[in-house]
Amino acid sequence: MKYISDLILKMSSVDRRWIFLVIALSVILPLYFPLGLPIRPTPTTQQVYDTIDALPHGSKILVSCEYGPSTKPEIHPMVLSVLRHLFKNEHKVYVTCLWPDGQFLASEALDLVGRDEYGLTYGEDYVLLGFRPGNEAVVKGIVSDIRKLYTIDAKGTKVTEIPMMNGVNRFEDFDFLFSASAGYPGTIEWVQYAADPTNVPMSTGTTSIQVNEVMPYVAAGQVQGILAGMPGAAEYEALIGVPGIGTSGMDAQSIAHLVIVLFIVLGNVGYLIERNRSKKY
Amino acid sequence: MFGEIFGAWVAVFLTFAIFSFLYKDNPFYKIAEHIFVGVSAGYWTSMFFWTQIQPNLFGRLWPSAQYSDGFWYGIYNFFGMISSSIFPEGGIDKGHDMHLTYLIPFALGIMMLLSLFKKLSWFARWGIAYTVGMAAGLRAYGYLNSNVLGQIRGTIIPLADPDLPMFSLLGASHFNNLIILVGTVTGLLYFFFSKEHKGNFGKVTRVGIYFLMISFGASFGFAVMGRISLLIGRFVELITYSSAQYHHATLWVLVIMVGLLGYSAYNDKDNPETEGS
Amino acid sequence: MLWKRHIPILIVAVIGSLTLFGWFIDEPNIKAFVNDDATQWFDILASFAIFLGGFNLLKMQLQKVLRKKQGWQYSLFAIGGFILAIIAGFFYKGNPDVAWGTHVTADGTLFKWIFMYIFAPLGATMFALLAFFVASASYRAFRIRNFEATLLLVSGIIIMIGRVPLGSSISSWFILYLLVLIGGIAINSVFKNKQYTAIFVSVGIIIVTSAGSSMGWPLDQPGIFYLPHLQEWIYMNPNVAGTRSIMMGIGLGIFATSIRYILGIEKSYIGE
Repeated sequence: MKYISDLILKMSSVDRRWIFLVIALSVILPLYFPLGLPIRPTPTTQQVYDTIDALPHGSKILVSCEYGPSTKPEIHPMVLSVLRHLFKNEHKVYVTCLWPDGQFLASEALDLVGRDEYGLTYGEDYVLLGFRPGNEAVVKGIVSDIRKLYTIDAKGTKVTEIPMMNGVNRFEDFDFLFSASAGYPGTIEWVQYAADPTNVPMSTGTTSIQVNEVMPYVAAGQVQGILAGMPGAAEYEALIGVPGIGTSGMDAQSIAHLVIVLFIVLGNVGYLIERNRSKKY
Repeated sequence: MFGEIFGAWVAVFLTFAIFSFLYKDNPFYKIAEHIFVGVSAGYWTSMFFWTQIQPNLFGRLWPSAQYSDGFWYGIYNFFGMISSSIFPEGGIDKGHDMHLTYLIPFALGIMMLLSLFKKLSWFARWGIAYTVGMAAGLRAYGYLNSNVLGQIRGTIIPLADPDLPMFSLLGASHFNNLIILVGTVTGLLYFFFSKEHKGNFGKVTRVGIYFLMISFGASFGFAVMGRISLLIGRFVELITYSSAQYHHATLWVLVIMVGLLGYSAYNDKDNPETEGS
Repeated sequence: MLWKRHIPILIVAVIGSLTLFGWFIDEPNIKAFVNDDATQWFDILASFAIFLGGFNLLKMQLQKVLRKKQGWQYSLFAIGGFILAIIAGFFYKGNPDVAWGTHVTADGTLFKWIFMYIFAPLGATMFALLAFFVASASYRAFRIRNFEATLLLVSGIIIMIGRVPLGSSISSWFILYLLVLIGGIAINSVFKNKQYTAIFVSVGIIIVTSAGSSMGWPLDQPGIFYLPHLQEWIYMNPNVAGTRSIMMGIGLGIFATSIRYILGIEKSYIGE
């Protein structure tokens, strides 16, 4: 027993680079040797799916991409899944970006899903309006007069020459908003300046870190459900039946979490042993 | 194709250079860090210029729809001789009408840039004052409406609804609604520092702290989840770049970097004064 | 004084009041200005602020090189990176079929190449690095020193495990056995009596085993010990309550601070 206690205490002061190595292996090994753990959607993810599924076919959907390459692993899979769901239900998709890097990633997602998978036509089925700087001022601009803010789309085409922009003048002309958000500006700004004042329904997908900030809006009914980080993206992929990066990363996520929990437990066991010994002596 | 393969090798090198910081601070990491700083600044400057300044500012000062041979477009033509990409012939065609009032933000913007010079540093105050005023006006309404009134509305939930069960793990119930109400009120009371937290009030605020600790724990759990997700994303890309299509970039760069760092560590072992942190 | 102090304060007061009351005024000209032009001006100034940051960075790095300060060699990489991005943004498209302006988003341009193979990997890896430090910090510093810290730790662990597929594969009976074991350790540390501990653990195991056998060992029953359900309850109830109270406090604080700025009481933006 004393030998085990001494070993645990010794491990408490191990060089942190060994911990880094264990974390790296706990992520890499499941990527090479997947476990195939089943993915069960949570109620908040199901709520997003049900809300989008209930929209009448051909609705005008605003998808706002506010994420960058640093948060791509969490948000991009959910954007791809939501786009697949929207295009499957024949909705018209309008994409804006509050982050500059979001435009590249939105373009990538639309090309992959809209153009390559569904064979849809740019300008008739989907349009990338693009990025505008100004944070919440952009959201306000979209609410009041989208045509003053977006005179051209991301490809430089005048908005007046894009067929699907007919009849779209302000935020209330949209039937639904999905915000894929990694921080500021993002979901919170859409809730405060767009959804709440106009009562246009919205859902969101956020990074895991932002989930807790947004949860009160979900609980209060201001946001219809939330896709929480990569697990949320994997759950949505399971719901639409098209597994992607979110699903493939879940085994690694599970094992890494387990390893971190074990580290925390081990650290606390060492702390308790040390505390008991110092009380004794 | 060469651009893609070369780009993959560059991406892998930069990724491992950042990860090498886990071993210790080293020149690879410092180089990658400085490249990131420089490229970010240049990238955002270009992006904001071409998506905002050129179409929305210059496009409103010199729209092609109102091009003429007068003095105003004479200035435009002069700029056009310097850069025909930014000021194309015949005006800027972005669907705007002329709004000379946009000279005001243009002037404020130039004043902001002039503040780079120490003697003119106060120039930036006007532009900053405009953005501060605008943000203050926007946020006062937004936060009060959504974060305060909206949340109060969300907390007014039924405690005696006969259709609700007494307790349920998933979905609404009397117990869950009571937890939300008690937690919100006691949490808010904890932040009331005008009264000392002792006696019965202290007991109530203690309950508030417990709810706050639970939400901090949940935030910690989500923070870990987010970071691990990003790590998974990086490793997925490195695995992609280890394939034959990219000439096994990941493996080669890893071997070379580990070799160089190992050699440096071996030399530092012989010369302990030169060892870093 | 007038130019450096009074005029900025006046600008904040006028623009702030206009923006705030613009939510409530229906006069078309004011609404048009507040909703359209004022926001465009904000965007333009935000862009200039980015330029200011970029040029300031360049100035600092150049000064470091010219004055040969420590680490000046690395500043050459920063300057080189900036120049490369500016060349790609303003001088060399790389794809002649794309117009200036749309080249920042179009395929096949040097700008897009820089984004995909330099900017994106660097940004993503910087963030991913934190995963290692979170794990290391959790191991070394996360200690259950008191009841509040224990609450934080337990809710964090339940969220971490309950939210991933592994959590839904862990039977609630495993959690029950774990609780019996933890209870035994707690009994031992309080009473320091091996007999009490043995009785508690044995009785606990017998009860859990009997209940499990009679129910047929369902994975997700009893629901309160099934991690995904437990984490969902924590996530939607006590967590929402705590986060909501923080959010309301912050909301009131921001409202008060915004009014202070508009009334000219807060003047930190001019250095006072």
